[in-house]
Amino acid sequence: MTRYEGAAPPQTPAPTLEVNHVTKRYGEGPTEVVAVRDVSLEVAPGEVILIMGPSGSGKTTLLLMLGALLRPSAGEIRLDGQVLTALSEGRLPDVRLRRFGFVFQDFNLLSALSALENVAIVAQLAGVPNGAARKKAAAILTDLGLGERLHFLPEKLSGGEKQRVAIARALVNDPTFILADEPTANLDSKIGHEIMRLLRRVAKEQGRSIVIVSHDQRIKDIADRVLWLEDGRFAHETGMAVDPVCGMQVERERAVDGTWDGESFVFCSRGCRDEFLRAPWRFLPEGGAHRAALREAVREEARA
Amino acid sequence: MIWLAARNLFQGRTRWVVSVGGVTLALMLILSLDAIFVGMESQLTAYIDSTGADVFVAQSGVRNMHMAVSSIPGSVEGRVKAVDGVDVATPIRYVANYITLDGQEFIAYVIGVPVDGALGRPLTVADGTRELRPGEAIVDGVAARAAATVGATMRVLGRDYRIAGASTGLSSIFSSIAIVPFDEFPSYVAADTMAYVLVRAAPGTSASDLTARIEAAVPGVAATTRREFGRQEIKVISDMATEIVAIMNVIGLVIGLAVMALTVYTATVARRAEYGILKALGARTWTLCRSVVAQAVITVAIALALGAVFTLLVAFAAPRLGVALALALSATSLAKAGGVALVIAVLAAVLPIAQIARIDPAIVFRRRIA
Repeated sequence: MTRYEGAAPPQTPAPTLEVNHVTKRYGEGPTEVVAVRDVSLEVAPGEVILIMGPSGSGKTTLLLMLGALLRPSAGEIRLDGQVLTALSEGRLPDVRLRRFGFVFQDFNLLSALSALENVAIVAQLAGVPNGAARKKAAAILTDLGLGERLHFLPEKLSGGEKQRVAIARALVNDPTFILADEPTANLDSKIGHEIMRLLRRVAKEQGRSIVIVSHDQRIKDIADRVLWLEDGRFAHETGMAVDPVCGMQVERERAVDGTWDGESFVFCSRGCRDEFLRAPWRFLPEGGAHRAALREAVREEARA
Repeated sequence: MIWLAARNLFQGRTRWVVSVGGVTLALMLILSLDAIFVGMESQLTAYIDSTGADVFVAQSGVRNMHMAVSSIPGSVEGRVKAVDGVDVATPIRYVANYITLDGQEFIAYVIGVPVDGALGRPLTVADGTRELRPGEAIVDGVAARAAATVGATMRVLGRDYRIAGASTGLSSIFSSIAIVPFDEFPSYVAADTMAYVLVRAAPGTSASDLTARIEAAVPGVAATTRREFGRQEIKVISDMATEIVAIMNVIGLVIGLAVMALTVYTATVARRAEYGILKALGARTWTLCRSVVAQAVITVAIALALGAVFTLLVAFAAPRLGVALALALSATSLAKAGGVALVIAVLAAVLPIAQIARIDPAIVFRRRIA
């Protein structure tokens, strides 16, 4: 996947999104509802965070606040050190337009516009001239496998294609952060997984941070971190790691542990662990941190 | 954003066609009415312009013909003729009444002109002769068309006349014109009186100088240049029509506004969620409002063009269908209709703009908030 023309070079220091003790209340007095309570979170560059939780747990409210669509009642949100919550209403659209990309559950494409126009219009809103906006939109859509569907209206696209258009739209202004609200809810499991892998690829290859709100347990494996939100608070955090044998994302808490050369590895099963320990050189890069141990292990294997 | 406006408009084709149709009809009402009055203005002075007179002399205080009564003594003719700078002076009599042709009645300006008078008859006729002889008449307008042929009989104020000539272009929407011999003018006009004296200025004499000289020399008369006489004629009609035109313009404005406002409002409400999406993505309210205004302006611009085209078609067709209407579409009328169209577009966009301004971009997520 390529970075598109006009993409901002990596910034120093790396862009971050920090949520510090944020609370959101709706109503007041006896009717007051606290949707999010004293939540803190830091999103690192290139990180994929999945926020899960039951309905009414505050996931969407948190996502709205992250995307500068809703102001917290208390606490602050910092974008690259700048306090987002202190910005005037008039400046927020520009922040949303240039720093965030949004992916919605219902795709939310404009019905009168073609796939190409749905993407190009967001670039135009950011001041890109019509011709350049269309060129850029076409490049992204083609990269996402929609080169043959550029001029199709949304009603002529499948669910997966619509979500790809939505992702292209989210990418067109080269945002640092992509916020996705239940992006797989209207997709079957195969297409849903495809879309999530696509989002992960965007994060890892382009260095964009992605925050996903979802109920879908099946997409946990694409996240770097899974946060469980309940009653407006993060109940627990699940670190995700890749099984070096089968490549699966596995929850650190539930994984099978194995240690080799002083380093801990996590595996989806004992089978994978045993396979790894029998021949670690098959699963680790030759030039990595375990270079010497790997060479020794290979020699021992040869002697045996 | 113009193309977004255009796409939004043309996607709901039926709604858009109804909207353009409604606004077109409203603007056509305004344009047609204006065209009728502009066309009528040239008709109103057609007889005055064709008399060949430079100055019209009437009873003091009278400076036009329509709805005016002028009665001056016969002696005025001689006194006017004696004024320095007068080349020719011809007396005419005048009354508005019905004439009967082929059993049909037509309202007409009945004008009595001396059979040997140099002024007061049409300069040209389409059929027959412009010469007047006792018992003969020249007719113009709807009455002329009804008469069909020269030689037919026309009844004027209880007396029959043979039509000797038929002219075109002198009558108006209000009346036809029938010219009969001065001496045979209906008996209820006093024998030694006339309505106007038509005056041709001698070469080298200006009409305005002549009016001053006549009024100085002949007491109790008003002398008016042909140009001013025509202007006063138009003013009388315009004054009578101003309220009608204003009411029709307001009706046109209200119809157009109602149709447009309803269309733009329903189109905006139907796309409320989409405007919410664009706001969530970072579009400014002002940008979206421009798109709504653009939709309204595109619609009224097309409606204005169609309204102008249809009005021109009516102007072309009306005389060919025997309607005594000369519609003339003027630049002023177009500018006025354009102004009305712009008002319609802007007012029609007000409510939708208020709607858009109120849209919370979080609406995109709202159904599952918290």
